[in-house]
Amino acid sequence: MPTGSDLRRAISSGLITGGIMIYLVAVGIAPALAERQVITDYLTLGRLMLALPALAVGYLVAGRVGSAIARSASALAAGVVAGGLFSAALLASVALSPGIRSVLVRLSTGVLDFVGFADLGLEATGGALLMFGLAAGLALLGGLIRLAPGAVRRTIVGGAGAMLVVTLLEPFLRPRLLQWGFAEFDDWLYVAHGMTPISATSVFVVGAILTGVWPRARQAAKARVANADPGARSVMRWALLLVALAFLYTVPWLSGSFLTQVIVLVGFYVLLGLGLNIVVGYAGLLDLGYVAFYAVGAYFTALITSPTSALGWGLNFWVALPMVVALSAVVGLMIGAPVLRLRGDYLAIVTLGFGEIARVLLGSEALKPWLGGPTGILSVPFMIGDGKYSLPIIGEQSGAAATYFPLLGFCVLAAFVAHRLKYSRTGRAWNAMREDEDVAQATGISTVNYKLLAFAMGAAVGSVGGAAFATHLQGVVPGGFILLVSITVLAVVVLGGMGSIPGVIVGAFALIGTPELLREFAEYKLLVYGAVLVAVMILRPEGLVPDAARKAELEESRTDDGPLHGPEFDVISGDA
Amino acid sequence: MTTETSVGTHEMGDPGGRLLLVARAVTKAFEGLVANRDIDFEIPRNSIVSIIGPNGAGKTTFFNQLSGVYHPTSGTIELEGTDISHMPPHEVARLGVARTYQNIRLFQNMTVLANVMVGRHVRMHGQWYGAIARTAGIRREEAAAERRGFELLELVGLARSTSGELARNLPYGDQRRLEVGRALASDPKLLLLDEPTAGMNPGETKRMTDFIARLQRDLQLTILLIEHDMKVVMGVSERITVLDYGEKIAEGTPAEIRANPRVIEAYLGKQASA
Repeated sequence: MPTGSDLRRAISSGLITGGIMIYLVAVGIAPALAERQVITDYLTLGRLMLALPALAVGYLVAGRVGSAIARSASALAAGVVAGGLFSAALLASVALSPGIRSVLVRLSTGVLDFVGFADLGLEATGGALLMFGLAAGLALLGGLIRLAPGAVRRTIVGGAGAMLVVTLLEPFLRPRLLQWGFAEFDDWLYVAHGMTPISATSVFVVGAILTGVWPRARQAAKARVANADPGARSVMRWALLLVALAFLYTVPWLSGSFLTQVIVLVGFYVLLGLGLNIVVGYAGLLDLGYVAFYAVGAYFTALITSPTSALGWGLNFWVALPMVVALSAVVGLMIGAPVLRLRGDYLAIVTLGFGEIARVLLGSEALKPWLGGPTGILSVPFMIGDGKYSLPIIGEQSGAAATYFPLLGFCVLAAFVAHRLKYSRTGRAWNAMREDEDVAQATGISTVNYKLLAFAMGAAVGSVGGAAFATHLQGVVPGGFILLVSITVLAVVVLGGMGSIPGVIVGAFALIGTPELLREFAEYKLLVYGAVLVAVMILRPEGLVPDAARKAELEESRTDDGPLHGPEFDVISGDA
Repeated sequence: MTTETSVGTHEMGDPGGRLLLVARAVTKAFEGLVANRDIDFEIPRNSIVSIIGPNGAGKTTFFNQLSGVYHPTSGTIELEGTDISHMPPHEVARLGVARTYQNIRLFQNMTVLANVMVGRHVRMHGQWYGAIARTAGIRREEAAAERRGFELLELVGLARSTSGELARNLPYGDQRRLEVGRALASDPKLLLLDEPTAGMNPGETKRMTDFIARLQRDLQLTILLIEHDMKVVMGVSERITVLDYGEKIAEGTPAEIRANPRVIEAYLGKQASA
């Protein structure tokens, strides 16, 4: 039996879970997904959404040490509490309906029917009982999964994950399948909406097998790389790079126009994230006004490339770009200079102010003759040709796909620059400054210079994003450069893991991409952002892809270049 | 070496360049509170000298002026004839002054090797554009700095296997060693150690002071120690300066200091000296 403290913990976890489930219904997230079929006629995404917290709490609570029975009992207890709370709330809502809608506007009869399984012909009491039983059962199931051996656990999670991905991608996968002539496969995988029980099971099995095989395949691949001679290893590396490039090259063709739009949007945030990562992640300067650099890049590009702007120069984008980057770096220095003495919170507040000043200035009456006030600047030309160009194999690119390729180039370039800087004297100086500014200075680092450099670098990268954005929309309006952009980019960096380049990419896909895939979520995007950030900060404060890879990198560079394999050094060399 | 000869040298203007650092009439006041008053102080090359005094005597204030963190209200500090009294810390570091801290201040979330390589910063020249292009010169410089970093880790007694660890994961004693390693990485002319044995038991303290003495001998370093515990400095210092209430109350060899009634009074109170 679980000990008293374990039980107390299980109960409090259960109460939190019940609260989360009630919340998901009361704000309307789960009901909004009630129409998305996972397995037609059996499971909707809305139901899954309510099931997941129960599963998760069982899984988490069973993670405590103790006997298997005690752990599963804790999981069950948490589920009982969560289900009890939820069912009680359901019964209370039904009893108070429709009056309750004057307070909780989302709790319509339809929503209560959805939660209470009215579709199965159940009355409120029966629905509440079923919910109670389900929550308890799911929590127990979650606990049992936790107790299962590692391989089994991975397999189950992998299979479930595969199902979830196939479900989420349905709106994008189906047109692709039809286009490529896999109509029959499409018919088999998805019925009208959602999968059939048979295809869902198959997807689960395939996912499970893949996850089961993955660790062993990875081990084998690693061993092969380790055993290969340097020549073969470099061939492997190039082959891997080629495959990656080929994949990136075909992304717009593979994903179709809507998904390409999503990917381009993610790409903008990857680029901005990489820039802000230099300022916040490397140098530790909390900049809440990053949108200012994005705006400067976009507006300056519009000003000098649009034939209808006040300047009317109508420059080619690629001629304009170096000028934009240079000017933005100067703006970075100008913003950096007055805040050099500020640290931490004070710096954040002042940069926040700068961001707002930029936004207000852009839309202001005073600058209207140049920047167009609220209407902005229009007729910004495309980056390449007239927004349509043809590429070998994948054919003509237009719309978002036309932006995709140059944007991909910018992202790769920014990642390359960020990577090179990170493992250099400059990057170390920034990191030292982030860790302890006084000590960094006493070690001989001119903190003034390195702060300015960080601001200028961040500004330059941000302005490239802005420039590409202006051409993507063929115009700029002040409304696009709001505080929310700064916060979102910061969230991308923090979620991914400060200072981590892969982290920025993963963060951007997670934070920008996923909500786009769940259109029903659009309304709740900010709510989800907030919840995700809180959860990540509590459960994984170092981010999704933390920067601890540094250690591995170090070892790799040692074996690669071999400067450290020389003969044993003298303990004390002469140059001290 | 006696007090008389050192005063004599000063009056002759240190013709042989025997003195590495000379402080003259250094006074530091914080809004009326005088932390250091008229302190004359010098450090001969290739020696270990110490500043001791009870807590609150103004040792750390003085120390901070030597490393450029504070600037004297009046008086001058010269390093090899260059006036450093009003230089910012990073320029003082460039001239060859490195320091450690009483309560260890490492770059916690950086690796052990990276900490030492940051210490090497002032002796490197790579700029950001070179780092992006990764020129041959940059690669050479990085490899050399890395090699030097490993040498220093070995010198201060840290196992090679710790080089990839984050500094914050090291045990306390190793953190102290790493801090010394970071300071040494800049090839300092003058190494300032602020209570290097703080928080150590007698055994560790002994090992640390032996280590400091060996460091001075092997690297031909000049070291200034700050301590409030008199026993620590007696064994290793050539000369000791005693501060109390912001003023220099005594200066001399360990034996002279031990016998000095003003020092005994400062440390033990009036009754003991009477």
